[in-house]
Amino acid sequence: MKQAVILAAGEGQRLRPFTVNRPKAMLAIAGKPILQYVVEALAQNGIRDIVLVVGYHKEQVLDYMGSGEQLGVRLTYVTQPKQLGTAHALAQARGSIQGDFLTLAGDNLIEADTIASFLNIKPTAVLVKRVDDPMRYGVVTLDQRGEVKEIVEKPAEARGNLVSTGIYAFSPQIFDFIEPELDLPDVLNKMIGQGHTIRAEETEDTWLDVIYPWDILSLNDAILRQIQASLAGTVEAGVALKGQVWVGKGTVIRSGSYITGPVVIGEGCDIGPNVCILPATSLGNNVVISPFTQIKNSVIGDDVSIGPGGIIEDSVIDQGCIIGGHFTACCGREEVKVDHERHLVSVGAMLGEGCNLGSGVVAQPGAVVGNYAQVHSLKLLSGRLPDRSLVF
Amino acid sequence: MCGIVGYVGRRQAGPVLLNCLGKLEYRGYDSCGIAVSSGDLVVYKDAIRVKALAETLPRSIEGKAGIGHTRWATHGEPSQVNAHPHCDCTGRIAVVHNGVISNFQKLREQLSGEGHHFVSETDTEVIPHLIEKYYAGDLAKAVELALGEVEGSYAIAVLMSGESRLVVARKDSPLIIGIGDRENFIASDVPAILDYTSQVLYLEDGDIGVVTPGGVEVSQHGKVVRRERHTISWTVEDAQKGGYEHFMLKEIHEQPKVIRDTIGGYVSAAEPPAHLATMGDISLEEILILACGTSYHAALIGKYLMEELFKVAVRAELASEFSYSGRASSVSRAIVITQSGETADALKAIRKLKGEGCQVIVITNVVGSTASRLADQTVYTRAGPEISVAATKSFIAQLMALYWLALPYAKIDIRRLDGLVMELRQLPGKVQRVLDSEATISEYARQLARCEDVFFIGRGINFPVALEGALKLKEISYIHAEGYAAGELKHGPFALLGRETPVVAIVAQDNTYEAMLTSIKEVKARHSPVLALAEEGDEVVGEVADSVITLPRVDALFSPVLNAVALQLLAYYTARERGCPIDFPRNLAKSVTVE
Repeated sequence: MKQAVILAAGEGQRLRPFTVNRPKAMLAIAGKPILQYVVEALAQNGIRDIVLVVGYHKEQVLDYMGSGEQLGVRLTYVTQPKQLGTAHALAQARGSIQGDFLTLAGDNLIEADTIASFLNIKPTAVLVKRVDDPMRYGVVTLDQRGEVKEIVEKPAEARGNLVSTGIYAFSPQIFDFIEPELDLPDVLNKMIGQGHTIRAEETEDTWLDVIYPWDILSLNDAILRQIQASLAGTVEAGVALKGQVWVGKGTVIRSGSYITGPVVIGEGCDIGPNVCILPATSLGNNVVISPFTQIKNSVIGDDVSIGPGGIIEDSVIDQGCIIGGHFTACCGREEVKVDHERHLVSVGAMLGEGCNLGSGVVAQPGAVVGNYAQVHSLKLLSGRLPDRSLVF
Repeated sequence: MCGIVGYVGRRQAGPVLLNCLGKLEYRGYDSCGIAVSSGDLVVYKDAIRVKALAETLPRSIEGKAGIGHTRWATHGEPSQVNAHPHCDCTGRIAVVHNGVISNFQKLREQLSGEGHHFVSETDTEVIPHLIEKYYAGDLAKAVELALGEVEGSYAIAVLMSGESRLVVARKDSPLIIGIGDRENFIASDVPAILDYTSQVLYLEDGDIGVVTPGGVEVSQHGKVVRRERHTISWTVEDAQKGGYEHFMLKEIHEQPKVIRDTIGGYVSAAEPPAHLATMGDISLEEILILACGTSYHAALIGKYLMEELFKVAVRAELASEFSYSGRASSVSRAIVITQSGETADALKAIRKLKGEGCQVIVITNVVGSTASRLADQTVYTRAGPEISVAATKSFIAQLMALYWLALPYAKIDIRRLDGLVMELRQLPGKVQRVLDSEATISEYARQLARCEDVFFIGRGINFPVALEGALKLKEISYIHAEGYAAGELKHGPFALLGRETPVVAIVAQDNTYEAMLTSIKEVKARHSPVLALAEEGDEVVGEVADSVITLPRVDALFSPVLNAVALQLLAYYTARERGCPIDFPRNLAKSVTVE
């Protein structure tokens, strides 16, 4: 297999506010968007001819990925003008396909090993994995010969814990079965109905989907487990770095700071003095963390500035937020509403991009703050605040 | 970023190499060169663009094997001697290289000690000398041994006199081989060779390839490996534009990154990029800023910025008019802004200033350009190569350089200064938000596209932005557009207003705000439709203007950045609606090297 199609047109509505201005595949974790991890996994397996199907906020993808040269691949872009479903997305790539090819979701985290054994399989085939919570995914049932009998999307009751990873091996023949407004599992079910064989290959390596905002923390954790220590910035005397800590160029870490890996700190950041960063935290580029702030198991976006004396745990803070002193975002078990679903999760706060928080703001566990919210000093944030909220 | 190419086959190599290099100019174009081998090896190179090099070449260069290079200098100025290809002591081995050799200082000292003679300042030159050192009859072996000593990144192509084959290698820099009929090609990127073949091999890190007219043999650690052949189905344009329809839109979208890189570059440097005052002296005298075209608009913004921050007189003048001034310039310090560093009028002005004993700071995007060589101090913008004739990202990068030059000397309240530094860090994200509102802006552009005349008005630091908005619109959409200081409209142009002549008004939250609202009302009284650019949260503007493009809140000193980006998008989508050749407008050239 020499070619791959990555579907990166999707919005990811349930991930709002983080997907208001970017497609789901461009959610940044440990300094890179999920899509880049997928492209790197393909490149490491020698697949360098990659078609990217883009749509929702496609400019974000084009600007970041460019021609693919930095990653050693050749990217061709095709646009899905309306997000009508994954099969319709794939159909857009038809003109760029030259033989058997791989199809992957740009918003599912994988590693090179995940797809290594799948590359030589004969199409049509689907890569499957056993998971603990199959109801979130397309559950795959196999017949006695190990071939796919049926894929049921998000069943109320799962028959088995084998799910589709959304990674497929196709021949160009697949395009004959695609109808608009269908998703790929429906297309496969249709093929099975017409007597075609769909093979299944199981993987035990990393495959993580991000569906809800707090899933970003699980992905962050999975990625940070892989990082190697690397120091490119300036570390002043009296800084303690333990474990795997990755520091980008131009970053300054000031005296008295204590950092326990795995931690990724981007480029051009200004950290400390006397800042404590605890495991499973990733900071974007150009981030400022003022003295006496402690951050644990959190994802902080580019250009974020956090004032002195803050406590942030199990939280996601998107790019460009300016947060005053003594901000508190602690973890707790809380019911969070997403659309009409309710989920009981352990999580801190989730702040959309460009929020401006005064001093002494406390975010309750599970608070989801929309993009560009303005919050005055000494306010308590809880529940879900829409974009551009004004809290005074 | 640089580009390399190579050819072996049945044709004359010279013209093929030049054609391939032309396709790689998007990777850089400050100097270029080729080496061709027939019996002897001949090298032609200079600090000029590919087209200019082609004109200086002799009619017929014999030789069916050759290599070429186009450069975008990051270390060492663009000059004939620093241009690639580089040769060994004997002139028999020529090398082109894309990448960075990190241990070149050590290698250079070592090789010099062994008697090798170096002529350039480049890191690349150690490679031909290393190959010379290890050469014992087998070029491929010598290259392998030479690269064993090299640390860093590279894609190289090696040509030796008397050989009709190329030896290539890559590590962390791109390199592909194009497969033809009794001829083969090498290049940094596929577009270079698509005129000749669509069959390519991608080399992997650590690969060494021997390319002959009849075939390609790739090996890694001495073992022959197979690299699969790919068929390329896309066209040249697609690739270079990275998915965008035009270079201009691609470059507009690069601006958040340009701002971030520029700020990051300046912040991490220990020294400020240049000193406005004499070392140790913080008092500033009158400052003169000279530039042409879009750069002149940056200069005007610089004037308002510095006057606000320094409380001293700052003059911005057109470089093309400067030499006609009868008086001596009377300033001891001047800033000259030129994207290319080669604009003839700017160079002439620098020479005049230098002749009068003035200290000159140059702001340019091209490392080692003529302007930077003439200057006392140079501030480099980090916009990267700009292909579109209409300047966008280089303009924004110039503004960033001016902000960075000015802020250390600001005589303002510490709270305001802290606020400005904080805002500067937030600027990339805010520009991104302007880009995110593209869809709204393109709606307004559709209306503008139907007009034949448009006025742009602004006041204070946004008056130059009105000039720039008008310039962008006229140069790419061919709509007659004029930028005016809003207060000047009543001294004449009012006669031209009417229902068919829209006015674009830039409204900033500074001391010009009330006056701008008055101007808009005056324009409305003459029935012109008004499109206003205003900050979010400003509800008054919406009541007086017909339509409003809302921009993120920002300190007024930085508002030109957001307004300029919005007007770039407005111009782009207007030109697109009218079907204009956006990247290459009629009668215009990127760098104007004539007076």
